[in-house]
Amino acid sequence: MLPSRSRLSVLVFLLPPLLIYGIAVLLPILQSLFLSFFSWDGTTSPTFVGTANYVRLLVGDDIFWQAFTNTLIYVAISLVIQIGGALLVANLLFTLTRGHAVVKTLYLLPAVISTVAIAFLFQRIYSVQPEGLLNQLLHGVGLGQLQQPWLSNVRTVLAAVSIPEGWRFTGLYMLILHAALLAVPTELEEAARLDGASRWRVFTAIRFPYIRPVWITTLIMAVTYDLRGFDIPYLLTNGGPGQSSELLTTYMYKTAFTSTDYGYASSISVFIVVECLVAVALIFLLLRRRDQS
Amino acid sequence: MTALSAAHPVVQRRRRPVSPFIVLSRALIGLIVAVQVYPLLWLFLTSVRTEQDYTEGNPFALPASVTLGNYVRAFRVGNLGRNIVNSLIVTFGANLLIVALGMMAAYAITVLGFRFSGAVRAVFLLGIVVPVQIALVPLFIDYSRVGLLDTYGSMILPLAAFALPMSVYLFGSFFGYVPREAYEAASLDGAGPYRIFFGITLPLSINTIVTVVLVNSIFIWNDFIFANTFVLSDGLKTIPLGLQNYIGAMGKVDWTATFAAVCVTITPLLLVFLVLNRAVIQGIESGASKG
Repeated sequence: MLPSRSRLSVLVFLLPPLLIYGIAVLLPILQSLFLSFFSWDGTTSPTFVGTANYVRLLVGDDIFWQAFTNTLIYVAISLVIQIGGALLVANLLFTLTRGHAVVKTLYLLPAVISTVAIAFLFQRIYSVQPEGLLNQLLHGVGLGQLQQPWLSNVRTVLAAVSIPEGWRFTGLYMLILHAALLAVPTELEEAARLDGASRWRVFTAIRFPYIRPVWITTLIMAVTYDLRGFDIPYLLTNGGPGQSSELLTTYMYKTAFTSTDYGYASSISVFIVVECLVAVALIFLLLRRRDQS
Repeated sequence: MTALSAAHPVVQRRRRPVSPFIVLSRALIGLIVAVQVYPLLWLFLTSVRTEQDYTEGNPFALPASVTLGNYVRAFRVGNLGRNIVNSLIVTFGANLLIVALGMMAAYAITVLGFRFSGAVRAVFLLGIVVPVQIALVPLFIDYSRVGLLDTYGSMILPLAAFALPMSVYLFGSFFGYVPREAYEAASLDGAGPYRIFFGITLPLSINTIVTVVLVNSIFIWNDFIFANTFVLSDGLKTIPLGLQNYIGAMGKVDWTATFAAVCVTITPLLLVFLVLNRAVIQGIESGASKG
């Protein structure tokens, strides 16, 4: 604490950021909570409906539950690519004697591209006419019978919109995990190797536990970020065909700005926030429990 | 070769031959990097293909002939110049707020200190996990009440506010490393909180500022959801919206011209990233190891 500070100086520094943060983040959270108890189309005056929006959401809306299930699958697929791919590359990078910087840069490259550009790109990768990269590749390796319209087949579309999200950010998480792995003391690993431990053992018994705080942080970042995934499914399929790639976020967006049902949309967005908080709490809880055993 | 074996003792080389594992692992790295980079390379290649080559040719082949006609069409049909200027304005404005407000809040919390500083810090940090979607409907309503809808400010405000928690966190953890003696000495010399902020904290923070600006620029430059929700007029559209318009504007989608437009719009950020990638990578790595 600075000895020469005055109450006024604290306010001068603190109020402007708090004001902007309050207006654009804190106030909207309260407004959404408030609105979620009303029925409102934006033009007529709002009517108080109590918990009707939440009742509808929890027991009366099949699309909501499909969107919720889709969101969980979307997060699972993205996570496997992001964290799985990141852990794999972060470890494999140790077998390279040079070129680390180049690999890191290239691996991070997709994170720089806008989601609209990525959506265009993947629309062409999945396309049938003209034959896109994926279908061409399948044809080339003799799996031509697997060719299909990936974005209009209800069985493949959810995976097809999840993969770009995973692809986009795996480089970011790889950088973080690799930096953490660099801090693992080499004496530990070498001693284990001399005792005849396999590479897999060294990874599971030494490296992975050692970087635990970092991968928990990474996991929380990835889960909360994937739960709010919106751009790519919205741009690629807009939730379709039918509701087969609808996420909670795209459903909320359409409810708000296509059906202008602000009250119900607010209750969905409150649900999204709760879902993020529950996810973070679950990660902490599950991983702490393992600590004690 | 002789110089090389002199540098690495022969004994060590023999004891550690390149094992199949190493070969496999390097091949795997190559493959994964190709998956990450090839689509982008393909995008650039497609942007110089002729339309006929694109619809009929093999997508994996090199372009039959190189044409810049797609770029000419991209500029003629779209509003690329305007979109780029708009994106620059929004990116600059939001970054200014993120850095200035982030430093101020972190300074008040970490350096000046006050009774509820722990609680205020927690309120800011909470924002890291708040999804932006929660703000869309309320901000849309508030904006239409005060006439802020369809302005630069309507994009800059939420972009800055939602990036503020990370900025406060990064500046706060950096300010924690500045030795307290530096502040105390300046205080004894009679410097007040404002002089210390501009004389000590600000000059020391340049590296953190660069990191915060670089990482945020990527997200702001590419923002789609706020721009798509709050901006309607063509004159205010940022790059992501401009690109999306492309497809509609052309009726039958002119993919090669669209890809040319995509290339034009990702190039500025890509160049900055490639030139400064050391700073970006170090920024991410250091931010993570502190977490």
